Amino acid sequence: MKTDDLKKASLSIGGMTCASCVSHVEAALKGVRGVKGVVVNLAIEKATVEYDPAQTSLAAMKKAVDEIGYEVILNAANLQVTGMTCASCVENVQKAVSDLPGVGKIVVNLASGSARVEYLADMTPLSEIKKIIQEIGYDVAERAEGQEALDREKEAREREVRRQRNNLIFAGTVGLLVMIGTFQPYWFLPSILPDWMNNKIFLFFLTTPIVFGPGRQFFVNSWNGLKRGLTDMNLLYATGIGAAYLIAVINTFWPDAGFGGREATFYEAAALLTAFIILGRYLEAITRGRTSEAIRRLMKLQPKKARVLRGGEEMEVPAEEVLIDDVVLVRPGEAIPVDGLVLDGYSAVDQSMITGESIPVEKKAGDEVIGGTINKTGAFKFKALRVGKDTALAQIIKLVEEAQTTKAPIQKLADKVAGHFILGVHALALTVFLFWFFVGFGLWFVPESRLILTPYLLTGMGVFGFALLTSVTVLIISCPCAVGLATPSAIMAGSGKAAEHGILFKGADAMESSAKVQAIIFDKTGTLTKGEPSVTDVVALGMAEAEVLRLAAVVEKNSEHPLGEAIVRGAQEWGLVLEDAGAFNAIPGQGVEAQLNGRSMLLGNRKLMAERNISLDGLLPEAERLENEGKTAMFVAVDGAPAGIVAVADTMKETSAMAVKELQRMGLKVAMITGDNRRTAEAIARQVGIDQVLAEVMPEDKANEVKKLQAEGLKVAMVGDGINDAPALAQAEVGIAIGSGTDVAKETGNVILIKDDLMDVVAALQIGKQTLRLIKQNLGWAFGYNTLSIPIGAGLLYPFFAQMVSPELAALLMATSSLSVTLNTLRMRGYIPPIRRPGRPGASKQPTLAALPAPASNP
Amino acid sequence: MKISGVGFTSALIYTGISLIAVGIFLAITVAGEYTWVARIGGAVWVFMLSMIVLIPVIMPRVKKRLGI
Repeated sequence: MKTDDLKKASLSIGGMTCASCVSHVEAALKGVRGVKGVVVNLAIEKATVEYDPAQTSLAAMKKAVDEIGYEVILNAANLQVTGMTCASCVENVQKAVSDLPGVGKIVVNLASGSARVEYLADMTPLSEIKKIIQEIGYDVAERAEGQEALDREKEAREREVRRQRNNLIFAGTVGLLVMIGTFQPYWFLPSILPDWMNNKIFLFFLTTPIVFGPGRQFFVNSWNGLKRGLTDMNLLYATGIGAAYLIAVINTFWPDAGFGGREATFYEAAALLTAFIILGRYLEAITRGRTSEAIRRLMKLQPKKARVLRGGEEMEVPAEEVLIDDVVLVRPGEAIPVDGLVLDGYSAVDQSMITGESIPVEKKAGDEVIGGTINKTGAFKFKALRVGKDTALAQIIKLVEEAQTTKAPIQKLADKVAGHFILGVHALALTVFLFWFFVGFGLWFVPESRLILTPYLLTGMGVFGFALLTSVTVLIISCPCAVGLATPSAIMAGSGKAAEHGILFKGADAMESSAKVQAIIFDKTGTLTKGEPSVTDVVALGMAEAEVLRLAAVVEKNSEHPLGEAIVRGAQEWGLVLEDAGAFNAIPGQGVEAQLNGRSMLLGNRKLMAERNISLDGLLPEAERLENEGKTAMFVAVDGAPAGIVAVADTMKETSAMAVKELQRMGLKVAMITGDNRRTAEAIARQVGIDQVLAEVMPEDKANEVKKLQAEGLKVAMVGDGINDAPALAQAEVGIAIGSGTDVAKETGNVILIKDDLMDVVAALQIGKQTLRLIKQNLGWAFGYNTLSIPIGAGLLYPFFAQMVSPELAALLMATSSLSVTLNTLRMRGYIPPIRRPGRPGASKQPTLAALPAPASNP
Repeated sequence: MKISGVGFTSALIYTGISLIAVGIFLAITVAGEYTWVARIGGAVWVFMLSMIVLIPVIMPRVKKRLGI
């Protein structure tokens, strides 16, 4: 190896903290075949690697570093790739780019025409990645963000639709003429059409511009792919069209060559084959855009203008120029430009486009507003809190886009099958040719036989012409375009539909997993309950209930404990006046004491009362009753004598019981997890109808409880608040973070619910199920079409019925299969999750059950 | 070994195998009653399809064998 052949690259390494990390990384990189030298610098977190590009790649180095627990930080780019039409195009782009030395990972999405590449610019600049994609026949540009992306994508799609439409108009019109000319001698046509229309030279001059005009793309693209050892759908078309055209030309100019003569020219096959393939591409280009409509609708929500107060003056600025802390003015009917906090004014805001809530939400000073939502009634001012890429809408768009560029496990299998399909189809076409050439023609050929749906007799056809016709038909009819579109189009439609309901799936795998969930665990505090305790009962002994509550609240007035705050809030709601107490003393784990007007006040649990020798005989039966209901009972004593009990409980969310009932109806095992003692936990679980309770679980052990259910063979979903429950959310197959509000980016979990409504958990699972159902239907259509059509195209029916499928009919069937898959996916546009359908409890945002009390306890 | 070397080695292999397939095809046709047009046309079609099948199979294997 000459030193000239070696190259240097600088890798950014994440996760190194000390000198031993340096030696680990160095050792790992030195172990990679082809790496000749490594120097790791801890201070700048970089590894300079000298390597032989012929022997190693970035992927190999990254793998070695990742395996020992560190991370190679790569550049990332989102590309818009146009011209991909099938799963093998996806395979080809992935393969060509992955073969570049500086590429760590590439994920290509056919439905959105996008590719996400992780690469090391030092080894392979982005320009090189774009160049290789262009070389194999696709157009590529960096994917823009926000409105610019919307415009560019729309423009590219329109360009493609326009191009294919023009091709279609030309190929379709001229192809029709070729067909009419071909069939001029049949039926009643001789009486109305002149003979020269059937002249083979005339047909040659009509067909040639179709094959080398609109059909040129297939030849160019397949040649570009073949040069790199890649095969795709274009090759199927090119061989099919090319063979049909070549036979027609030979039979026209050398009719005695033995290919069937002038009566078997098949110009209409070459012309209509091209027209039908282009028809398929045109329809795909139109309909594929519609599956990503949801994300475009989200993008369109981004307001363009904002009115801000600067230097005391009101001015209109572009929305992207609003700065944090700017005061923004909003009038009735206007869109709110960025996220912020209302300073002044009162209004109702339609947030349905972000959260899915159908009823406008009231906004007053102190409330948060979300950019992209519509102000309905009043005017208000608000302070900008999040602008540009940090707004909730921008984060949601990013999440949905990222989800749409991932692949569901079911898609990986389909891609693999489709990727090898082209090769298999050519091998099959060869086998079919050899079979009909050596065996079939001699055994079954009937000169009076016809092509299906044509008056065309195969009389003049020789053994080669017949075997070739069958072989070409197999090539055309087998196109797996539909297989490639089946999964990504459904994932795009499903994730878009979910976003409309305020449900964000972080990846296609989350969508697929959510459809397979068998058990669901709810965190209690903040998930099933509101996470905010309130006073539920007051028991008095020898004084008025209001007095007991007043005394308890006075003692707790300066407390920061959530239970104390609940008592103070409860007293205020009762309209009680609270004086200031003196000598306040918090007794950790037991309660508080204070002095009021010379009286000694005590508020706390049994232990505190026992330590102060206060007899609770008159209060214990009531205390036990309250605790059995899952409430926290706190005793009040005045001057050493018991005075009463104040009971506090967390409040159940309005929709918790309904959501649990619906999940159970869907056949899921529903459990609740909490740090509470078993008696309290069971009391709450009873209220919402949950029979499996995982009680006294410390936050750090929640993930273990998920594992235990998984060990029973169940696919588990965990619903939590996304921050406290992060390990459990990560452990579960589906981690659902609820009530994230507008700060969606920070959430753990692979499903994020913007609203704090448990019905969305049900809706998320229903959308997941519907999406998987759609994928399975699409794959069923696609594989079913190929399973049925290939044997027919190969001539299986010929020995029995003496009828053959013509190449042009094969092309029409192929286009129909792609169209059926896309149309099936478009059904998702009208889908409403059953729980949100009119007449169902979850369809209304109004609480339909009274708020149920639940105990306050450990989070 | 450079990338261009891979292309040349691969081309030698897949073209060689395709020509062998054509040879076998022609040998069989000689035993039967086929016209020369059918023989030559068939041989061209067999050669084309064999190349298309073999190119994507051979190239990655050669690359792998040569450590690229």
